[in-house]
Amino acid sequence: MAGCDLASVVTDPHSYVWQTQPLNLPAITKADDAHRLYLDYEEQYGRIDQAIYAGDYGGAGEPLVVAYGFGIKRNILRLLRAQGMRVRVVPAQTSAADVLAMNPAGVFLSNGPGDPEPVDYAIRNIRELMGRRPIFAICLGHQLLALAAGARTYKLKFGHRGANQPVKDLTTGRVWITSQNHGFCVDRDSLAGSGLEVTQINLNDQTVEALADEKRRILTVQYHPEASPGPHDTAELFRRFRERL
Amino acid sequence: MPKRTDLHKIMIIGSGPIVIGQACEFDYSGTQGCKALRSEGYEVVLVNSNPATIMTDPEMGDRTYIEPLTPEVVARIIEKERPDALLPTLGGQNGLNVSVALARSGVLDRFGVELIGAKLPAIEKAENRDLFRQAMQRIGQEVPRSGVAHNIEEAKAVIAEVGFPAIIRPSFTLGGTAPASPTTWTSSCPWSMGPGHGPFSEVLIEESVLGWKEFELEVMRDLADNVVIICGIENFDPMGVHTGDSITVAPIQTLTDKEYQMMRDAAIDIIREIGVETGGSNIQFAVHPQTGRMVVIEMNPRVSRSSALASKATGFPIAKIAAKLAVGYTLDEIPNDITKKTPASFEPTIDYVVVKIPRWAFEKFPGSDPTLGTQMKSVGEAMAIGRSFPEALQKGLRSLEARRYGLGADGRDKFAYEDLVSGRARASEDFHHMLERIAVPTPDRPFHLRYLLLGGVSVDELARRTRIDPWFLEQFRAVVEMERELRAGPGLAQDDDALRELLWRAKQYGFSDYQLAHIWGSDETTVRARRKALGVLPVFKTVDTCGAEFEAETPYHYSTYERPFLALRDGRFVPQQASEVRPCDKKKVVILGGGPNRIGQGIEFDFCCCHASFSLSAEGFETVMVNSNPETVSTDYDTSDRLYFEPLTFEDVMNIIEVEHPVGVIVQFGGQTPLKLSGPLESAGVSLWGTPGDSIDLAEDRGRFGALLDQLGIAQPPNGAALSLEGAREIAARIGFPVLVRPSYVLGGERMEIVYNLEALDRYMRGALDLDPTRPVLVDKFLSSAIEIDVDALSDGREVFVGGIMEHIEAAGIHSGDSACVLPPRTLSARTIENIRDYTRRLARALSVRGLMNVQYAMTRHPDSGEEKIWVLEVNPRASRTVPFVSKAIGVPMAKAAALIMSGKTLAELGIRGDPWPSHVSVKEAVLPFIKFQGVDAILGPEMRSTGEVMGIDTDFGLAYAKSQIAAGSTLPLSPRAAGRPRTVFVSVNDDDKPCLLRFCVPLVELGFRLFATAGTHRVLSEHGVPCEMVFKVNEGRPNIVDRMKNREVDWVINTPMSGRSHKDEMAIRRAAVELGIPYMTTVAAALAGVDALTSLAGDQAMSVCALQDYHR
Repeated sequence: MAGCDLASVVTDPHSYVWQTQPLNLPAITKADDAHRLYLDYEEQYGRIDQAIYAGDYGGAGEPLVVAYGFGIKRNILRLLRAQGMRVRVVPAQTSAADVLAMNPAGVFLSNGPGDPEPVDYAIRNIRELMGRRPIFAICLGHQLLALAAGARTYKLKFGHRGANQPVKDLTTGRVWITSQNHGFCVDRDSLAGSGLEVTQINLNDQTVEALADEKRRILTVQYHPEASPGPHDTAELFRRFRERL
Repeated sequence: MPKRTDLHKIMIIGSGPIVIGQACEFDYSGTQGCKALRSEGYEVVLVNSNPATIMTDPEMGDRTYIEPLTPEVVARIIEKERPDALLPTLGGQNGLNVSVALARSGVLDRFGVELIGAKLPAIEKAENRDLFRQAMQRIGQEVPRSGVAHNIEEAKAVIAEVGFPAIIRPSFTLGGTAPASPTTWTSSCPWSMGPGHGPFSEVLIEESVLGWKEFELEVMRDLADNVVIICGIENFDPMGVHTGDSITVAPIQTLTDKEYQMMRDAAIDIIREIGVETGGSNIQFAVHPQTGRMVVIEMNPRVSRSSALASKATGFPIAKIAAKLAVGYTLDEIPNDITKKTPASFEPTIDYVVVKIPRWAFEKFPGSDPTLGTQMKSVGEAMAIGRSFPEALQKGLRSLEARRYGLGADGRDKFAYEDLVSGRARASEDFHHMLERIAVPTPDRPFHLRYLLLGGVSVDELARRTRIDPWFLEQFRAVVEMERELRAGPGLAQDDDALRELLWRAKQYGFSDYQLAHIWGSDETTVRARRKALGVLPVFKTVDTCGAEFEAETPYHYSTYERPFLALRDGRFVPQQASEVRPCDKKKVVILGGGPNRIGQGIEFDFCCCHASFSLSAEGFETVMVNSNPETVSTDYDTSDRLYFEPLTFEDVMNIIEVEHPVGVIVQFGGQTPLKLSGPLESAGVSLWGTPGDSIDLAEDRGRFGALLDQLGIAQPPNGAALSLEGAREIAARIGFPVLVRPSYVLGGERMEIVYNLEALDRYMRGALDLDPTRPVLVDKFLSSAIEIDVDALSDGREVFVGGIMEHIEAAGIHSGDSACVLPPRTLSARTIENIRDYTRRLARALSVRGLMNVQYAMTRHPDSGEEKIWVLEVNPRASRTVPFVSKAIGVPMAKAAALIMSGKTLAELGIRGDPWPSHVSVKEAVLPFIKFQGVDAILGPEMRSTGEVMGIDTDFGLAYAKSQIAAGSTLPLSPRAAGRPRTVFVSVNDDDKPCLLRFCVPLVELGFRLFATAGTHRVLSEHGVPCEMVFKVNEGRPNIVDRMKNREVDWVINTPMSGRSHKDEMAIRRAAVELGIPYMTTVAAALAGVDALTSLAGDQAMSVCALQDYHR
């Protein structure tokens, strides 16, 4: 696994807009009805999520987020949409210049498989984007951003798998139960000078779970706040990203 | 946050006696709580009235009070001990109720005691129906819809909201006497109301959730507002059966991740809204099987029975962690005991299936209805762990001690297999009736499902009728299909490879060797030998909280069947199994536990097993506990060095012995369950510790035991053993009526009766011979009005320590487990006591007892000379039910000592000597479950029916007895002078007891009581000038005695039954007393003791409280 660029294998070579048709179901109109967001609309109400390869963004007036697709999970897209963001997914290799040309309000770096180090093209592009747009990253995206900031990554002896991983937020002292599925990890000792602060750690092995840089409006997490499967403890992060745009 | 340093002394309240719905799970939680708090350096004050608990061991707490669990008594303890805080969440509903009462009455404030764990408002919000409903609405959680109606129009309006089916019940009941049983209103309106149309002016109409899927989540929260879910539990039986009476399964089997996460989110919102600050809570949900609509049913803001199950199912010690959270730690500051390296702030994950099956005791209550409903009726439970639901289910069924070895196919089926599969059974009335009734949950339902599936009824039809989730029924079908396959082939006759393959599969479906032997017409030994020869062996896995993600430090194991994989060894591939049992150089001792609680075998035996483990472990042995009861302390992972959660059958126990190679196995402490295994285990060459098996046989075999007593010159009541009607008649003619009859080899007085005439003897014998014509019926002379004496002794084979001599309060004829007793004895002469000691020593030596021995004696007084004569009724060379009581009364841990003796120590080496004669008086009283069984006579007899016991300790008998009564929930009325208002005692005794009437009636009148009496009793009292008022019996006119009881005119009932059988009108009186909560006594001896208690209470000497540590200073 180490050394293989798997993101380029799974990324969608075409850019697309993610659209979730607004549903007029009384049960989900309440904005505070958080867990309803996780209902599988598609199963229950037919095909309503879709990737639109050509055409309109929809959601006029909502901020645009460009999401790097390294193997992006659908529920991430659903939750970004649900927080009122227009979402365009771009291939892993898309240049920073192309992304900036779309004039997004924020950039999202997706999850994806494998070792982050060989995904050097993404690391270069992310480096260019840092500080120029608010960035939110999950899993592989989080590792790529850390590499872009000059940190190192390594392969864990025991990867984190499962929906019961305890993560501690060092700024608040709170503990969240998270969904995780990764074999590589950001080296905590390599972060000096990166400008990134470790804000969350895994309580099982003390490894890095979240990085932040308030100045550059960067927020990255190693775990999967979009859950599905897994607990919804950290779904709040999507709203926080929306607020930073 | 670090632990709080402003607290120093913390009080924990236990749950009192074992009753249906509140069993030894709270001993487990309280014990964990004590250990956790003390390890943090806090001083622990413990209160509980139940002596058979580990938590009341003087070394568990700093100050241990065995006192009644009433707010008044606990207030006195608080006043004396001045704790800084009270932890109310570990003692079940009882402990919580007492704590709430203390908080409400201002006692806690007055003495500056802080409630930790859960504050009063949170408890009230969770427990009060309306407050809970409002709270749920605030956070957008649904509860079953409901509304109140006063007339039919309102009712229709409510129904428009609630929908059908609905449950209608009177919204309040008058004096608790109106029926509150709900009626299901399904479609059109069969009901009218309004003036003159019904007894209720207001009804509650509630959406029916009967048949919905039922789930529970165990939730923990800390002061930093971190919340984790420890375990999700799914009920096999849908809504409508109390969860304590449901088969339950962990983890949840039939929800998708999305459904589960919604439930998880809801649970987190709920614990926050209710405001349980720290510790564990249990939240129940119902989910509509078609629409998925989820409603919240209830929340327990405390550690519950389900918490105990969740702890044992996952390895996560909920009670221990709850105690640590209550003193300020956060979850991430507490290490997970199992992994040592990871924190408690995580959600356990399990890579096996856990099934809990309740154990009922309907056979003890003839006339009771075995239908399961919203009132819990089970007396215990067994838990089993397997790699699949079928394996866990079959292991669970054979753990129940209900003489079943799995899901049928064990020779005890009601329908023959051939009749079922050929369709013959299906044509029968019985089969049809069973199908019609399958929707009604009963203890036999799992077996009925098997018959129906074998008989060709489809899963769909069963799901429709029972509302059990089809997934579970498919699992049952898979077991049944496996059985068909096993029966179809040539069985043991097939070639090795085919048989090996078949055995692997059968084992993975949980079939026991016993079942396989039955199916193949062989025997268990042959099947076992063949299976082992073919290499089909179980492998032991670990309960580790984390699904093997981290290394487990605690050896808590279960067996499963996993085919070997090929491993490379020295250049060759060899089959290998991944056993997780670690080798160890220490000498190992296996202690077999008692299995599920049932009447006659309860927590007392678990107490003995734990003590044996503690003392042997301290002596340097590696102790290995085997048990199947999740409520117990013995199945806590840190009680023994190793724990196996396994059924206590020969097969399962041998599997462990073959892996562990112990130097000894102890069967003496777990009651009848392990004792039954002693024969087969000895035959298999296992070294049993303690009294030799031959001595057990010597004590149980009529002929041999009689000869031994003759030789020792000790008397026993004339007796005989009969295998026929004529035989029994001859014995009765020889020894004279009344006689005591019972089947041989029973515990708990099962089917024991006192027979007063030939007619009753014939009836009993016909019944007994019908059941089992090969087992003799024992016929003993019944010693009327004898005093029974129980003795617990310790022996090392040479020296004998007569630890406790207990005098029964009720006269002979009441099972010793149901009788109150007092230590030291109060009416026996010094000479009799010396004789009893002497006999006990001689018996112990003659039986080569190594460890514990219990002897039951009866003492009769010659009517003229008054000479006391002692008879031996029974000798049991094993731990008895009274060992914990005696240990606490005399301050000598007898079970611990017994275990050390078995390991080779002598009494002298242990420093145990003398004849203890404590200066304080201890009374043990039994607690009976009659309130749970409608239509059952509340009368004591030779068959044991109590579920638990309490202990009262004080300086004199009256006070100690009064405490025992209060603790047992039957608070005697304070005398009128003390109460400041008139009090009435109803007296009605049989002719035999009439001579004793004055002995208690005169003191009662002197204490200022008013007496009611029925005609016969009234006559005797009037003749002797005792003032009393005559009242009607039930069929003599109105108002009769029951009417007067309902009108609260009676404060105490003394009613002794007519000899031999119960009469309808007497039964009505006793039932009324049970249901109205009026203290009642059914023996003269108890009445006399009660009068003593009242006299003591009326005297100058107030009831005081005293810690065990002070009694045994």
